[in-house]
Amino acid sequence: MKKKKWWTMGRRESLQGYIFVAPWVIGFLAFTLGPLAFSLYASFTDYNITSRMDFVGLQNYDQLFTGDDLFWTSLYNTLYFVIFSVPLTTIGAIFISMLMNQSLPGMRIFRTIFYLPAVLSGVGVYLLWMQLLDPGTGLVNTILSWFGINGPNWLFDPDWTKPSLIFMKLWSVGGSMLLYLASMQGISKNLYEAAEIDGAGAWKKFLHITLPLITPVIFFDIITSTIGSFQIFQEAYVMSQNGSGGPASSMLFYNLYMWIKAFQSFDMGYAMAMSWILFVVVLIITLINLKLAPKWVHYEGDDK
Amino acid sequence: MLKRFCLLALALLLFLTGCAGFTGGSEGTQASEGKTEDGKVKIDFWTFWGSEIRRPVIDKIIEDFNNSQDEIVVEHTYIPFGDIWTKELAAIAANNPPDVVINDINATALRGQEGQAENLAPYLEKDDISGRFYENLWDTTLYEGDSYGIPFNTDTRLLFYNKDAFKKAGLDPNKPPETWEELEEYAEKLDKKSGNTYERIGFYPLYGVGSDVWLLNGSGMNYFNEDDEPVINSETNVDTMEWIKSWKDKYGEDTINRYQSQIDSQQSNPFFNGSLGMMANAATFYTQIRDYAPDLDFGVAPLPEKTSGNGNTSWGGGFVAEIPKGSSHPDEAWEFIKYLTDKEAQEYWAVKNFDNIANIEASESAAASDELSEKDQMVYEMAAQNLNETLLTPMPAYAPDYVNLINPQLDAILIENKPAQEALDKAQQDVEELVEKTAQ
Repeated sequence: MKKKKWWTMGRRESLQGYIFVAPWVIGFLAFTLGPLAFSLYASFTDYNITSRMDFVGLQNYDQLFTGDDLFWTSLYNTLYFVIFSVPLTTIGAIFISMLMNQSLPGMRIFRTIFYLPAVLSGVGVYLLWMQLLDPGTGLVNTILSWFGINGPNWLFDPDWTKPSLIFMKLWSVGGSMLLYLASMQGISKNLYEAAEIDGAGAWKKFLHITLPLITPVIFFDIITSTIGSFQIFQEAYVMSQNGSGGPASSMLFYNLYMWIKAFQSFDMGYAMAMSWILFVVVLIITLINLKLAPKWVHYEGDDK
Repeated sequence: MLKRFCLLALALLLFLTGCAGFTGGSEGTQASEGKTEDGKVKIDFWTFWGSEIRRPVIDKIIEDFNNSQDEIVVEHTYIPFGDIWTKELAAIAANNPPDVVINDINATALRGQEGQAENLAPYLEKDDISGRFYENLWDTTLYEGDSYGIPFNTDTRLLFYNKDAFKKAGLDPNKPPETWEELEEYAEKLDKKSGNTYERIGFYPLYGVGSDVWLLNGSGMNYFNEDDEPVINSETNVDTMEWIKSWKDKYGEDTINRYQSQIDSQQSNPFFNGSLGMMANAATFYTQIRDYAPDLDFGVAPLPEKTSGNGNTSWGGGFVAEIPKGSSHPDEAWEFIKYLTDKEAQEYWAVKNFDNIANIEASESAAASDELSEKDQMVYEMAAQNLNETLLTPMPAYAPDYVNLINPQLDAILIENKPAQEALDKAQQDVEELVEKTAQ
């Protein structure tokens, strides 16, 4: 009698639930949590992938913080990129989605055009941009020269390499534009009508209606693009000379340096220590973001 | 609705069984321990030679080997250059590596140290083939005296010069510059300006090669001396960097960039149309001349010496054939490597690809091969000869990524006008620290 009671409908359903999520849970344990834990352990060793894995304590971390200039260079480069690219791409995406939110004939075509760069991706785009940014014959400098501007050397000048990449990122804001656009389309027309009756202009309407109502999307976009920007790798690997982050280490981003350590010096333990430092940095920034969020993110239906 | 769901589920089921079929199939072949049905041993051979030109050549060599005996069958797997060595590493770590892989010669000793490649000393004891190869190539494969990879191909840097332009500038087309001073003199004569823009420039050292090649050429040695000590801020290196900088200042950023983008686009290389008089480049640059500017009247010479008697030291790299650690058929793999680096296969590769090879005998007979045209032979002979003065830059096992500390400083000299002495001092100090840290 007792046994029958134990096997209740509720338990039965939760067992079924677990069975359904089991593939994902097993996958997570085996392919995400397992390697994660392994890399944490290996970051305290001199692991070289093939033949060596001796415990060295904090030596990797000590060397990173006290004896490795390139580590700091790569961290600086990455922070520089994050600090400029995240706000600029966010503002760019909001601006474009505002424009795309007008009801004009042919708007769909414009939306498609602006979204197109988000569809294209990877090495092809980088090679395209390397041609566009060519100092002598590239389209960008050619256009600048029509206005009498002597364009910079872009990817060959250490001062211009990171701005070049940020510039390239701005070109492909179409992906987040779509999110903003969807969110803007969801804003009730009544609000705008009411504001118009009260005599609000376009700017006031944007500032007091549109912006507050899309803050959840801005928040989401900032978090994901911050994490994404910290992980910048491919751009530098493809677009810098010999994939080594040149000229003058100006494109040596954190993940690129980590990759070089792992797969060219075979110093995997060191690289794993680097990845954990990055993890902590990103975690802290995300936590700060989450903490600040209630101050400016507005969720509809909130009581506040 | 229900019907549709059932259909979907059925489709999914079919798909899954399809997958199962696949894995079952590949496990089946592995279960027979890499043997074919008629009992031959199967060797998995990884290369990055997948281009229209290279692939047929290597496939032919493999076919010849397979036909030459009846115990081993080599199967070629092409993996793109960007992936091959990370894939190999993962395969070694997973204990399931291929049997022979083509890898970078300059990191061979490092792979030996890290236990990624099999030590070939036991095989070499039985049949010593080390005498087949150029000495500097062979030495690069050694870690603590044992070889971890057998040299396959190599390259070297030469000076290409335009004979027509030489004639027009009143220079003897059969007397290429022999020293840096002559190089400057000749360049001065070859320069042609109309107004403020150059119509032709004589020479710029960083077209085709990097400043590291000129450092090597100037000092006649690598960044490390015989005692494995870094020598970066030597007087001659400072001098060389200043010399390169003086070229940059001479022509100016705009001219240099304009030419560089033409060079990057390959077909419109200014050397082909005579607007660049001389250029240092890999010997295989000749294949581009052959394809894009077949009528160009040009000559090749060793890189000029810094001063007379200093030596025409040039820089080269190359690839080895190695057996990854944990290969299931190392003995058979060794047999294949021996064939791959023997005269016949090497000569075939050299002639068909116009590529420098590691085997001395094959190199010499390739230079005289009937299959090469007169121009082909001229360049090939010069390149083969130049190999004797070509240095490699092995990654020292105690400081594998040292170049990442030097190159930013070289960039700083040329781009940011940092004084050469100061920049090289900094590089010297950084590399010394790196070596010290690794030694601990």
